[in-house]
Amino acid sequence: MTTPDQSEGDRARDQVIAGEYVLGVLSLEERRNVEARMMRDTAFAAMVGRWAENLSSFNEDYDLVSPRAAVYPRIEARLFPASQKSGFAGVWSSVTLWRSLTALSVILLAGTVVLQTQPFRPQSPDQPLVAQMSGEGNAISLVASYQADSGRLSVTPVAAGPSDQKSLELWMISGNDPAVSLGVLPQNGDGEIEIPEAMRSRIAAGVTLAVSLEPYGGSPTGKATGPVIAAGQTRIP
Amino acid sequence: MAGEDLAGMISRVSLGDRAAFSALYSATSPKLFSVCLRILKDRTDAEDALQEIFVKIWHRADRFAASGINPLGWLMAIARNHSIDLLRARKPVASNIDEDGWDIADSGADPEQAAVLKGEGKRIDTCMEELESDRAGAVRSAYVEGLSYQELADRHAVPLNTMRTWLRRSLLKLRECLDR
Repeated sequence: MTTPDQSEGDRARDQVIAGEYVLGVLSLEERRNVEARMMRDTAFAAMVGRWAENLSSFNEDYDLVSPRAAVYPRIEARLFPASQKSGFAGVWSSVTLWRSLTALSVILLAGTVVLQTQPFRPQSPDQPLVAQMSGEGNAISLVASYQADSGRLSVTPVAAGPSDQKSLELWMISGNDPAVSLGVLPQNGDGEIEIPEAMRSRIAAGVTLAVSLEPYGGSPTGKATGPVIAAGQTRIP
Repeated sequence: MAGEDLAGMISRVSLGDRAAFSALYSATSPKLFSVCLRILKDRTDAEDALQEIFVKIWHRADRFAASGINPLGWLMAIARNHSIDLLRARKPVASNIDEDGWDIADSGADPEQAAVLKGEGKRIDTCMEELESDRAGAVRSAYVEGLSYQELADRHAVPLNTMRTWLRRSLLKLRECLDR
């Protein structure tokens, strides 16, 4: 743990500054400096994280005090102005479907799905049974594929309808790093993405995978621009 | 407010689920409002702060999964950070890091030992008992009430630099104890 270019005194000082930040005794300018350093110095960010966790048991000193009933409507009015209600309503209404997809990230990486033009086909041992699940006006559909011989059912999201011209983009978020695109899910509904060689070592248990709705072909900026419609942390099943 | 339920609510909030957001507000607003009140000391300010805090929670819910900390801890950190920022903006305090009070060498902390992480370490409560009671009290009220070094010095009737040294030594002792 000893780094040759950092004296013991410096490390003690960093521990103190990290602790002072979490306690809250620093000035506003110092708080901003600490936060800027956390962004570029992961070891220091980890110190702050440990203090936050260690000191969080002081949170028990805060009693429960209900705010006035008028506060929540003000928050809703801020977040959901009436004019925006229609916008992504279609996407949001499909949220129910997503809730059941706790293993979405695993499926996205491991799932092999065949999208048929016909919703159902007669089943033969090596032919999967396929269903496209969608709701009225939803920007997203889910394609379910059931492999009778293995008993495996996989579910893959697709951005539906040529009129929408949307794509689903898969992102990886590791620690405090910005999200990195892993690619755009193929429009044909095939849930497999080939991860670039250079990225493979970075996909480990604990990273977060997320899917966002992007313009057709993927985000033009390299950052997620559309709503994040699903996110989950990878783990060893 | 079982941790798992809160985590589920926050995940659903990250998907834009307003019903989950409303449920999260019902479940946690009394605790988060209490943070705002203790730190800001004014009901109207605290209500305004609570509003901002829940707007932040809505926008940042998708980062929760990546944070890896417990859900209530994550919400409380947003509430405390926002309230302390407001307080420091309203009543600026002197810079601390470049000032005196770094006479902390005799803390008893062995940096080599402290650097070796041994699992979870001890609970903070056990380690707080190893501090002198007035210093433990200063640490706790800094956290809970958002007191500045000057306010802590006034409360304990000691010079500002003495308070800085107290708190910094206490932090190192706690770190050493937690890592022991």
